[in-house]
This record gives sequence, C-alpha cells and structure tokens, in this order.
Amino acid sequence: MTSIGTGYDLSNSVFSPDGRNFQVEYAVKAVENGGTAIGIRCKDGVVLALEKLVTSKLLKPNANKRIATVDRNIGVVNSGLLPDGRHFISRARDEASSWRSTYKAPIPISSLANRMGAYVQAYTLYSSVRPFGITAIVGGWDAETEVSVDGAVGSGPKIGSGGKTPGVKEGGPYLYMIEPSGLYWGYYGAATGKGRQAAKAELEKLKLDPKTHGEGVITLEEGVKEAARIIYVAHEDSKDKDFELEMTWVSAVSGPTKGRHEEVPKALREEAERLAKKALEGEDEEEEGKMEE
Amino acid sequence: MAALSHHHLSSTAPFAFQQAPPQNHSGEPTQHAFYPYTDNGGSTLGISGKTFTVIAGDTRSTSGYNINTRYAPKLYPIGGQGPTHKGSKIVLSVVGFAADGRALQERLDTVVKMYRYQHGCEISVKACAQRLSHILYNKRFFPYYVQAILGGIDEETGEGALYSYDPVGSYEREYCRAAGAAASLIMPFLDNQVNLKNQYEPAAVSGFDKKQLVPQPLERPQVEELVRDAFTSAVERHIEVGDGLQMMFITKEGIEEVYFPLKKD
Amino acid sequence: MNHDPVAWGRPRDDIYGSYNPSYLPPTRQPYSSHPPSHPTTHTQSPVVTGTSVLALKFSTGVVIAADNLASYGSLARFTDVKRLRPFNRNAIVGFGGDVSDMQYIDRLLLSLVVQENYAGGGESVTLMNARNLHTYLSKVLYKRRTDFNPLWNALLVGGLDEHQKPFLAYADLLGTTYSAPSLATGFGAHLAQPIMRKVVPDEAAAAKLSKEEAVKTIRECMKVLFYRDARSMNEYSLAVVDVRGVELKEDNKLEAESWAFADQIKGYGTQTV
Repeated sequence: MTSIGTGYDLSNSVFSPDGRNFQVEYAVKAVENGGTAIGIRCKDGVVLALEKLVTSKLLKPNANKRIATVDRNIGVVNSGLLPDGRHFISRARDEASSWRSTYKAPIPISSLANRMGAYVQAYTLYSSVRPFGITAIVGGWDAETEVSVDGAVGSGPKIGSGGKTPGVKEGGPYLYMIEPSGLYWGYYGAATGKGRQAAKAELEKLKLDPKTHGEGVITLEEGVKEAARIIYVAHEDSKDKDFELEMTWVSAVSGPTKGRHEEVPKALREEAERLAKKALEGEDEEEEGKMEE
Repeated sequence: MAALSHHHLSSTAPFAFQQAPPQNHSGEPTQHAFYPYTDNGGSTLGISGKTFTVIAGDTRSTSGYNINTRYAPKLYPIGGQGPTHKGSKIVLSVVGFAADGRALQERLDTVVKMYRYQHGCEISVKACAQRLSHILYNKRFFPYYVQAILGGIDEETGEGALYSYDPVGSYEREYCRAAGAAASLIMPFLDNQVNLKNQYEPAAVSGFDKKQLVPQPLERPQVEELVRDAFTSAVERHIEVGDGLQMMFITKEGIEEVYFPLKKD
Repeated sequence: MNHDPVAWGRPRDDIYGSYNPSYLPPTRQPYSSHPPSHPTTHTQSPVVTGTSVLALKFSTGVVIAADNLASYGSLARFTDVKRLRPFNRNAIVGFGGDVSDMQYIDRLLLSLVVQENYAGGGESVTLMNARNLHTYLSKVLYKRRTDFNPLWNALLVGGLDEHQKPFLAYADLLGTTYSAPSLATGFGAHLAQPIMRKVVPDEAAAAKLSKEEAVKTIRECMKVLFYRDARSMNEYSLAVVDVRGVELKEDNKLEAESWAFADQIKGYGTQTV
C-alpha cells in the first residue's frame, strides 16, 4: 500500500492527490474478508444466497439468520462487517416504512437502492464518520399494477376512464448491489465477499440476460440450484472453514412465494445443496482423472 | 351512521348516566359531538368479615337496552405474579364505564407489581387503597367514570378490609358497600342485614328505650347467602343486572372464586 | 339580550368585533402549514360509514361477515368496499363506522404485519394471535378517545387465541371491549344478535356448533339485516378463520332474496289497517 504513511488515508473528508478516498478503499478490504454473498435475478424471481462462515462450534446451527427482509417483498444480504450490515438493514426498513406512509404503497426496489446508495454515500463525506464496511445485495419483486394502495377498500372503475387496461403489467424481479462508496448498479447476477471472483465467473456462465436469452433465462427454481452450487464453488478456496448455506427467494404474486421475500423451503434447499455437492465431486473426479492421465 | 346508532340510544336511555350529552331543543341541526363516556351497567358489592372480605359483581355488560355479553367480569385480582395474578390477595371491582375500569385496573395492577419489585414485599391493602385514591384523583378533571371497591386483608389485624371510592378518588374504609346500577336497591338491604340498621332488640320496649342491635362481623356462609339474595333481588328489579354472579373471597390463604348463574332475562 | 346561554359572558361581536384567533398556536394537524387561525380540530362525527359487522364462534373457529357498502349519510356511496381485513393466518378484523378511520387502522395493522414478518415467516415463528390483536386495537381506540380524537369505529376481531381456540371480541371508539360467543355491531346488535343467540346461547353451544351451521346462521342474519337496515346492501364479505387460516370471500350475493313479505307488514307509516 503506497498510500500508507502519506497521511491521506486517515480521514474521510480528504482526497489523496490522485483523487482517491482511501477510507472507502479500506472499507472495501473489510468486505473482501466476508463470506461470499450472491444474488441472481431469474425470469420469475430473485434468489439471494450467503456463505455464512461458522465462527464458533458453540453457535446454534441454522439460527442467527443473516439475510433480512425489508418490507415484505425485498431481501437484503451483505458481506463485510456484520454490525454495519445490521445498521444498513435497519435503515432500509425505515426507508421502506416511511415510503409506505407517504405513498401508501410498497417502495420500488430501484427507489430503495437509490435511497440506500445515497445513505451509504453520505458516510464517505465527513471526517466524523467512517464508510460502511459492507457491500449489500438488494433483491426483490416489484408488484404488478394490480396491487392497490394500502388501505384501499374498493376496486375502482372496471371500465372506461380510470378503468384498467387488460394485460398491462409493470414490476418484476430486480437486483441491486450497493458498495461502500455508495455506488450501486442494477445486476442480473451480483456477488461480493471473499469468493466473489469465482462466483462472478460462474454467474457469467448463466443465462440471465433477457435481451440475449429471451425465454431461455433461467427460472427461479434453477436459480436456487445455481445459487447453492455457486456458493459451494466459491467456498472451495477456504475449504478448511465450516459454513452454512443461507438462501432466500422472492417470486411474483403468482409464484411460490406469492410476492413475498422468504427463506427457500428446507426440502428445496437441501436438494440444491445435494446437487451442489455432487457437481463439485464431479469436478474433482474430472480433475483427478486428468491428473491420472 | 346506523352502525353507531346504539350509542345514541344508550345516551338517551332513562337509566343511563345523568350527565348525558346536552340535548338540542333549538330546532337547529343537532351537532354530533363526541362524548367520551358510556355506561355499561351492572352492579358490585363488597362485605368484610372477621377473617375474610368478599367482593361480588354480576357479569352482564350493557349498552342502553342491549346486552353486550353475558360474561364480562367486573372483578380483578390485583398484583400477584404474572398475568394470572398468582398469589394475589387484593381484589378491585369496578362498575360504570368499563373501558375506564379496565384502564384503572391495569394502572393499579402495574403499581402494585412495581411496589413488590422495588420494596421486595407485597403492598398492604391500606397503602394500595390510598394509591388507588391518588390514581383516581390525578384524573380529577377527566375522571375514570367508575365506582370502585377494593378488598383485601388488613395486615395489622388480619381482619377483612374493604374500601369504596367515588370516581374522583374520595374513599372510605367500610364494612360493606354496594355500587353500580343497582346500588340503590342493594345498599339499603346491606344496611339492614350487615349493619343491622333499624333492627332493635326484640324484647325492648318502644320509644327512646328501644335498643339498636350492634352489628357483629358475619360468618362466611351467612355472607355468601346475603350476596346471593342481594343479587337475585336486584336482577328482578333492574334490567342492567343479571346473567351471572361472580364472587371473590379473599382470606389470608388467597383468593377463592365462586360463580353462580343469575337469570338471563 | 342574547338569550343563548352559550353567548353569556362573552364579548359581543357588534362591539368588540369577532373573535381574533391569531394568538392561538398553529394547528397540530400533520403537514399543516396554515398560519394560526383555528385551534386543533378533531373528528366530531363520522362521514363515510359502514354498517353492521356480525360474527359467530363455532367448534374450531370463527365466522365473520359484513356487507360491501359504504354510505355517505343516507346515500349508498361506495358499493365495493371491503370491510373485513385479514391480519395474518390467525386473525381478521371486521370494521363498522367511519371508513377513513378504518383505512387508517388498516395501514397501522399492515405496518404491524410487516414488522412481525422481519422475524421470518416460517411455520415455527409465533405470530400475533387474535387476542393480541384485539388488545392492541382496543388500546389504540381507548388512547384516541382519551385524547378526544376518536377513531370512529366499532370493530370485531375474530380468529384463534394463543391455544389455537376460537376467539371473538368487540372494541369501539370509546375503548369499550367485550367478548361473547356471538357478536354484532351497529344495527346487527338489535336485529342479528337475537337470531345468533338462539343458535349459540353460551360458550358450550358454540363449542358444539359446526362450521356449516355457523355460516348458515350468519347468512340468514345478513338477509334479515338487508331487509331491515336501510344502510345495508345485498352483497357482502364473509370469512371463516380456523386452524387452516383465513378463508375470505368478498363477493357473496344474498341468496333467495324475496320481498314477498313486504305487503304483509302492517302498522308503519301511513298504513293504518
């Protein structure tokens, strides 16, 4: 680190002469130590998955969930400093709830990403604070237009002015990733944490872009299996450490989660894990085979 | 507005609160102002004995001529442990505006429980009684519209202790008291049967030589019979009283609850 | 002299001019930027209202119903208003009274559900039950009446309690609460409650009642109410809450509706024989 000792890395509000904010870059380092977290935007929903590193054998298995729900239709997974992640989630929930009290409707995923991006960015501006030591992946389902205003009691005109146009739908699956700098983009597949390079390489192989793959974009259920596999692949480099796979999903109102962000059911998660392990063994065998040759 | 019409009924019914919202006779459109009280009817009474106190109340709840429910207890154990009031030896009865009654019960219960956390011992009935008076008086200008009776065991003597209250906290320790809709029916009966008012020694002559009988603490079977008679009679003559009679006997052992069905008409 | 007692002891407008409220604090209404002109105002009467809500306990759950009408005074203003609001799989609320206050409470409950969901929505998570919900609502209502700013509603909470047993209770704008095997708000208390009490005179009878009998009784009561309550309509919502969750149907039509009895009624209006 050439910057060390130059003094430009000590404060948030000071740029280095070549235009860098070193505090933000150190925050990114904190993220790079965290367990791998990924999100996949599928045709009919979003999957979030996390390689939860087990830091002590005294921790209760499958407790201490790390993927959080914001409002009812949004999931947030993050990698990096855990308490920073908690605060990020708390703020996201407040944003979602204040949006609801203003607009009487759920916050769109894009707006939440925007609000949270702005919030995280504000922590890069002042010398009195430090940036967030996390990268967060925000995934959710924006409801179709049929969903009414909160507290609405009637259904409105059925035809004519103010009536509904049949077949028109808005909303759908959305996925965003927010970094310590406050930078955020929308993604088809997002990965962060220790195993992000391997995870990204795997995500790039998936059919996720509707423009190039059209109807061939992977389904939510395929996404669940891929997510499990990718977390297992990403874990290969730190094989000596124990981990738990945490996985959540959100589908359309017509889908398996009825528009809600939920944990992937145990049976499906275990099946996905079984396939993931099998896929890894397959790779190992191939590699061994090659070596024998 | 139809949904709320029974509230109008309740406020104009002849037996409801005397301080009903002002009536409009001027010919102008009636203002539908909000009146924060209602009367839920029912009656309560308490009698203290040598080793016990009984608090009793009917279980009917009314709105005007409607019966809301046939089982809405007016008797609340105060203090003790947890939401079941395990081990409690104080009972509060409230009659009048039931929502205020509930609020009052919750406040007193909290106070009594806090007392135990802070002092490491149960509150005495005497202290609890004074505290209840203060709670009521603190809302002097927006009162809890209830007539309360508090019963327990006097710590110093081991005798039954009974306190009665008006809605703004004026209170008194008594041997017996009736409250609520049928108080005017029950109280004279208790005056006569418990305090032996207008009862004279049968052998005595008339005039100034007549000797008033001296009231003695009553035994439990006698008291239970009096309570039942008081309520079965009140049920006959008052439409807001009926359905069920709930009695709580407080002794040094704790609270014993007895339920007795009343006429449902 | 002005004989209106309200005016006694007040400065006369013709001498002193009308009352100048400029010193009064600004209104405390949310988002109000009006200059100080009036004191804080509160609801003094309901505007758009719903009529009765009925509910009945049966052996394993609760049936609840309310029609789909919101009236503006005597005008049948909105005819597709859903007055039964499911809370979670354990509980449902039926609202009578002011519709805007109902919408406020509905949003309040939604925020509660959202927060409850943060703990995860799995089967193992203990949800708020109908009793919890009723306690919460009755405290909201009592607080608002104590502030002289009432939520102008009479509501029924139906569902399952902490032991998964049927629960049914009432709460209203004064904070009054009670519970019974059958309950009705508004006109229903006069017209439907006697019919329901014949079916379930006490808790023991409710514990023996089948779901089908309960639904039949409620439907019968909805018919009576439509015939006799001028602020009712013949489309209604009906829900059953039991261990299987909330089953809500919002487009029920009154069955076998017939006004043939009408000309038999004597003794009202101009009719003398």
